[in-house]
Amino acid sequence: MPAFLTNLGGLIDGSSLQTFALWALREIPGFPPIIQTVHLLGIAVVMGTVVMLDLRILGLAVRSQKISEMIERLLPWTWIALVTNFISGGFFLFARPNRYFNNPIFGWKLSFLIPAILLTLFFHLLSKTQQDYWELNSQRLWAARGIALLSLGLWIMVAMAGRWIAYSEYIYFPAEALLNSLSLPWTA
Amino acid sequence: MEFLHSPIWIDIENWPLSWEIGGTSWFPFLESIHVIAAAMVVGSILTVDLRLLGLAARRYSISTLSRELVPWSWGAFVLATITGLGMFITRAASHVVNPAFQWKLVLLMLAGLNMAYFHFRVYKHIAEWDTARATPTQLKVIGGLSLFLWSGVMLAGRWVGHIV
Repeated sequence: MPAFLTNLGGLIDGSSLQTFALWALREIPGFPPIIQTVHLLGIAVVMGTVVMLDLRILGLAVRSQKISEMIERLLPWTWIALVTNFISGGFFLFARPNRYFNNPIFGWKLSFLIPAILLTLFFHLLSKTQQDYWELNSQRLWAARGIALLSLGLWIMVAMAGRWIAYSEYIYFPAEALLNSLSLPWTA
Repeated sequence: MEFLHSPIWIDIENWPLSWEIGGTSWFPFLESIHVIAAAMVVGSILTVDLRLLGLAARRYSISTLSRELVPWSWGAFVLATITGLGMFITRAASHVVNPAFQWKLVLLMLAGLNMAYFHFRVYKHIAEWDTARATPTQLKVIGGLSLFLWSGVMLAGRWVGHIV
């Protein structure tokens, strides 16, 4: 993990943000699985919007829908889902910042997530500059297909890496994982 | 509910395959595929449900959306079932008595019944509302129930891991 991220973890550790997140996760009955489900529903929206758009551009899904129409209709929901996932994920991140900012798999997740967001943003913003931007000629369409393939891979890997975060502790920090599983059963 | 305490569940846990999955990276691998597949089930059916509610994609007919999207829900559902069974056999005996797991199966069945009711009963009258931007109440109830039940399946599924 880059030093600035581990430093960020140290900065949040002990802050009132951490106190609040820990309080919510420990004291509100059922809060951890509920907030994880909200996070999962956010991933479902990502699948139903940007991933479905990628599959459409690759010619694999919803062929009756027009690409430019899908971009306009679906991508705003991708952004809303991402914002809600930052909030739902934030509870876990802020509750135990060192668990994430020292976790190599969380580093992997970020290194898929940041390019995925930038790529989607780039794709969305360019589509606004011109009517039917990505369908105007064959070069644009091929560029869109390349972007769609990359985007599809990145979003899948974000979700994969996210699920592996909980297991990486057993790979990288077995002793701490054992201790945590005894004191914080909601981390699994 | 005698069968919940049957020794068969322990036998299943002792299958060589169960040990292979439970004791290796196969488990987190299957689990991450399960999460992606489950998100795809809900993500693809979401547009259809919101269309039934009259809230989204109103320019498309209901038949077009369900024809193009529901196969993705089914494909993802099959993948989620296979990966789910792979995880289930590693802790079969504790899963069958886990209330979250039991809720998950009940909610799955209700979601299935809701879908079956739509496809076998309501769909016959599709010509009356296929392209309608404002949908009849019956369709709104089916779409709303579907969203509610699938979210419940997700919540119960996530809760399974907090109880085992």
